Amino acid sequence: MVHYLIRRLMIGAVTLILVTFLVYALIRNMPGTPLTLDMTVADPSVEISPENLKRMERNYGLDKPWYVAYFKWLGNLGRGDLGHSFVEHKPVTTVIATRVWPTLLLSATSLFLVYLLSVPMGLFTTVRSGHLDERALSLTLYMLYSLPSFVAALMLLVLFAVKLEGTAFELPMYDMKGQDYDQLSMFGKVGDVLKHMILPVTCFTYGSLAYFSRFVKSNMEEVIRQDYIRTARAKGVGPVRVIWHHAFRNTMIPFVTLIGLTLPTLLSGSVILEQIFTWPGMGKLFFESLGRRDYPVLMGLTLMFTILTLLGQLLADFLYAVVDPRISYS
Amino acid sequence: MTQSNPSSKPPSQASDATASRGFWAEAWVRFRRRKLGMTSLCFVGLLAVIAILSPAIAGTKPIVCRYKGSLYFPAMAYFNSRWENPIFYRDKFYKRYPEHLKEKDPDSWAIYPLVFQDPYRRVKEGEWEGQPGNPTGADGVPNRHNWFGTTQAGVDVFAQMVHGTKIALLIGFISTGIAAVIGIIVGALAGYFQGWIDILLSRLIEVVMCIPTLILILALMAIVEDPKIWHIMAVLGATGWTGIARLTRGEFLKHKQAEFVTGARALGTGRVRIMWRHILPNALAPVLVPIAFGIAAAILMESALSFLGFGAPPPNPSWGTTLNAGRTSNLQNWWLILFPGIAIFLTVLAYNLIGEAVQASTDPRLREGTK
Repeated sequence: MVHYLIRRLMIGAVTLILVTFLVYALIRNMPGTPLTLDMTVADPSVEISPENLKRMERNYGLDKPWYVAYFKWLGNLGRGDLGHSFVEHKPVTTVIATRVWPTLLLSATSLFLVYLLSVPMGLFTTVRSGHLDERALSLTLYMLYSLPSFVAALMLLVLFAVKLEGTAFELPMYDMKGQDYDQLSMFGKVGDVLKHMILPVTCFTYGSLAYFSRFVKSNMEEVIRQDYIRTARAKGVGPVRVIWHHAFRNTMIPFVTLIGLTLPTLLSGSVILEQIFTWPGMGKLFFESLGRRDYPVLMGLTLMFTILTLLGQLLADFLYAVVDPRISYS
Repeated sequence: MTQSNPSSKPPSQASDATASRGFWAEAWVRFRRRKLGMTSLCFVGLLAVIAILSPAIAGTKPIVCRYKGSLYFPAMAYFNSRWENPIFYRDKFYKRYPEHLKEKDPDSWAIYPLVFQDPYRRVKEGEWEGQPGNPTGADGVPNRHNWFGTTQAGVDVFAQMVHGTKIALLIGFISTGIAAVIGIIVGALAGYFQGWIDILLSRLIEVVMCIPTLILILALMAIVEDPKIWHIMAVLGATGWTGIARLTRGEFLKHKQAEFVTGARALGTGRVRIMWRHILPNALAPVLVPIAFGIAAAILMESALSFLGFGAPPPNPSWGTTLNAGRTSNLQNWWLILFPGIAIFLTVLAYNLIGEAVQASTDPRLREGTK
C-alpha cells in the first residue's frame, strides 16, 4: 500500500510539473501582457513611456523568456511563495483565499442538496422502473440534465429579476450581497445572502441532480439483475431491505469514486455561472485573471485545480479499496 | 457503421453468421424501437435540412434570379461570400436586390427566400413591399415580420438562428470527429502496447484533462491571428478527446486478452491489422456513446464560448452569440434569451438522447429480455 502510494505521488508530481509548465507556456504566449492590457483598458490616454515599460517589465520578471520565468516561479513555489497579483498587488494566496468562500458556499450547498435528493430519486426510479411515474420523473431529470446551466440561469433571471420585479417573488440579479448589506442586522445579513444564493444554487444543483440520480439508477439496474438479489428475494427478504441493504450497498463503489471526482468542482466554481450572477468566486477570479493576464494568480489557480484533480483521483482509488475488499494495491 | 457488419469480415468469421443478423443490424433494429432516440434522430435530421436550406428559408438575396439574360444564385453567398457573382458588385447592388433588380433590368425575375430577413444586417423600411423596417432596441418584440424578435441593432433573430443552425451542426460533427480520431488512436495505442507507451500516453491524457479547458481553448485560439469558426472546431476537437481515449484504452486492455486476438496473433497478423480489424470493431460500440455525448458537449462548449465573448467572430451568427446579446441588453429583451436558449437546449437534448439510445441498443448487458 505504501509502495503504491509513493508511486502514485511521484507520478502525480510529474503530472503537476508538466501541467504547470504547459499552462505557463500557454498563458505567457497569449498576446498582450498584464502591463499593456491593464493600462489601455483602464485609461487609453495613459501612454507608458518605453523606459517605464522596461522598468516595470523587469520588476515583474516579464523581461525574461517564459521558460526561464517558469523555473523562477517553480523555485519560488518550493519556498512556498506563489508571488503577488499584478493587478491587486496582494499575495496570490490572499487573493485566492478571499474568493474561496463564496464559491464554497455555493458548491457545498449544492453538493449537499444533490446527495440528499439524488439517492432517493435514483432508488425510486429503479423500483418503479417502467411505470408511468418513473418515466415522467426520468424524462424530467433528463431534460434538466440537457438544459445548459447558463441558459437556465438567464431564463431564471429574466423571470425572477426582470418579470417579477417589484413583487414578493423578486430575486436579486447581481452579486452576493444587497447594497444595504452593512446596515442589516445579523439575521438580515444571513437572509440577504441566502436570497442571493437561491438562483445560483438552483443552477448549480439541477444538472448534477439528474446526473447523480441517473448514476444511482444505472448502477442499481446492473446490480438488481445479479443472482444474489434473486437469492435474497427468494429467501423472503422484504423489498425495502433488498433495495437498501443488498442492492444499494453494492453500488457504493462507483458512487464513492464519484465523490472523489467531484472534489475539484467544490472549489473550482463555474466560470460561466459566476460570471452571469457576478458572484465573487473562483470561476470569476479565473476569468478576470485570464482577461487581465494576471499570470501569478492564473498559475496559483492552475496549481490548485491540478492538485485537487489529482488528489480527487487518488482519493477515488483509495476509497475503492476501502469500500471493496476485493481491490488491493499491495 | 455498415462497413463493419459480418459480410465484410473474413469468411471464417462470417460463415456461421449468415442465418442471424449482424451486431450492427441488430443494434439498429433495437435503436429503431426506441421512440425517444428515433425522434431525436429525426430532429437532428430536421436541423440538417434547415442548415442546408438556410439561405432559402431566411435571407435577402434571391435563391435564383434572371438578370440581364443569365441565371444567378445569389443566396449561395450565405454559404461562402465568394460564391456571389461579381456582377452584383459591379452593378452596385449594395446587397439590396429587390429594388435594384427591377431598376436595372425590368425584365428580370427572382425567387426570394420564405422570410425576407437578413442574419447579418437590419432590414430597412421599403426594402420589401409591405414590410416595415425592423424595430430596434426594446421595440424588437416578436411580431408578424420578426417571428423571434430583433436584436438591439434590429437584426432579425429568426434569420440569425436559421443561419446559426449550420454552425451548431458543424461544430458538433467536426470537432467531435477530430476528438474521436485523436481519442481512438491514443487510447488504442495505450491499451494495446501497454508498458512505457501506456505510461506516456496516460500521462498525456491526464495532463490534458488537468489543464483548465478555458485556458487551453483561449490560448490555442490566441495563436491564430484571425480566428474563424473552423479554428474553434479544431480547438474543441483537440481538447475534447480525453474521455474517448480513456474508454478506448480500457476496451483495448480488455479485448487484448481475448482468444480471438491470441488467435489472430498466432496466424501472424500484424499489429496494426489486429488493432484496426480485430479489436476496434469490438471496442467501437462502447466508444460510440461518449462520441454522441461529445457532440452535445461540443455544441454546449461553443455556445458557452460565444456567450463569454470568445466564440465565432461577429458576422457568424451562432446561437450563443444571440444569447450573449440578450445578456448584454440587460435581460430586458427576453426573446433574445428564450429562442436561442430553447434551440441550444433541444439540440443538446437530442444528442444526449441519441447517445442514450446508442448505449441501450449496443450494450449487450442492457438488452431487453435478459432480466
